[in-house]
Amino acid sequence: MPIKIQIPTLLREHAGGKTTVEAKGDTVKAALDDLCAQFPALAAKIFERGEVRMHLNVYLNSEDVRYLEELATKTKDGDELDIIPAVAGG
Amino acid sequence: MTIDPSLERYSRQMRFGGVGVEGQKRLRAAKVALCGCGALGTVLANALVRAGIGYLRLIDRDFIETHNLQRQILFDEADVTANLPKAEAAARKLRLINSQVTIEPVVTDIDRTNILSLVSDADLILDGTDNFEIRYIINDAAVKLGKPWVYGGVIGSHGQTMTIIPGETPCLRCVIEAAPAPGEAATCETAGVLAPTVNVIASYQATEAIKILTGHVESINRDLIFLDVWENVHKRFSISKLRERNNCVCCKQNKFEWLDGAHGSQTTSLCGRNAVQVSHRVAGRLDFDAMANQLGTVGSVSFNRFMLKFIVEDYEFTVFPDGRAIIKGTNDPDKARTLYAKYIGH
Repeated sequence: MPIKIQIPTLLREHAGGKTTVEAKGDTVKAALDDLCAQFPALAAKIFERGEVRMHLNVYLNSEDVRYLEELATKTKDGDELDIIPAVAGG
Repeated sequence: MTIDPSLERYSRQMRFGGVGVEGQKRLRAAKVALCGCGALGTVLANALVRAGIGYLRLIDRDFIETHNLQRQILFDEADVTANLPKAEAAARKLRLINSQVTIEPVVTDIDRTNILSLVSDADLILDGTDNFEIRYIINDAAVKLGKPWVYGGVIGSHGQTMTIIPGETPCLRCVIEAAPAPGEAATCETAGVLAPTVNVIASYQATEAIKILTGHVESINRDLIFLDVWENVHKRFSISKLRERNNCVCCKQNKFEWLDGAHGSQTTSLCGRNAVQVSHRVAGRLDFDAMANQLGTVGSVSFNRFMLKFIVEDYEFTVFPDGRAIIKGTNDPDKARTLYAKYIGH
């Protein structure tokens, strides 16, 4: 079972309208790279100079990867990755 | 034990184990600074005033428009017609709801020069704002002063909230390191916002407020809560370890860059409204009578003691007594400053 990446509303137009995309990779970075390989328009939306853009947070099985091993955090089949943009409205 | 008759109206709240009589008394002694009185802010204000806090300072820079009525629960059509600022209109409503609560409306733009004076005497700061510039200023102030605050953000059908206890939990900058750049994120104008989304997120915030004010910090939410009421998503993202892992500029290094003016702007493009706010503080109050006489020769003018409205060409100015102005008809900060200088002066 591959990794499931939850696509935020903001980015779905660049992912063929999908809410969830299955990706392969043994690290968070590899999985996100596979996502961008499937949907190249996402690359510039998610990454900036090789790092995830600062207004996006990435959670692996609901844990913030910044206190795990960041993008090098290891993943396994069946894991769930959430990309969560900061929300300003109020 | 005889209960103070003035607390009787809170009988159903006091019967809830987490509050009780003692918790209710703590609420009555509490002072809250509510930053922003729009969508989240009106729901927050309504909840806390009904819950019986002692003092609510309502801080908001804006005036009411018809499209606010869909989700900003304290306002009505008469408020729009009367051209009332949000803080003032909300205060009038809230006093009718609960006359035991002292309500202080403050019609101003929150910035680094006034935030400390606005929140330093509060027990808790609540987020009803609509942009990250102000949120980072609030975060700096809260961490510097050691005050708890509760973040909330909404758009479309989804929203997020987290509770910040300085020194104990991650602060906002630990979790959300930067705001989306202009054009990178949807706005309420492009993506819309459902009133129930607002109500749900603000209700989470209000509950956190009640926990903190009744002395139940042990019960606070320590995650980033993410909800999507249309897609039926309810998630909690674990963030508590971010505080120990990160060397946060704000809460670990105690560098308050937003308070110190290292970031921020004097003009703010107003989210999705084709409008720019120009913050130009004047000493004292602007003389609206004199301004109306001058501006009336080039455009149409109306004013009351809260604001002056001036329409010229394709632009609509709303000017406040402290010199601040919202200029509709442009998204360009430079254009807005030029228009301000041309018609308002300075």
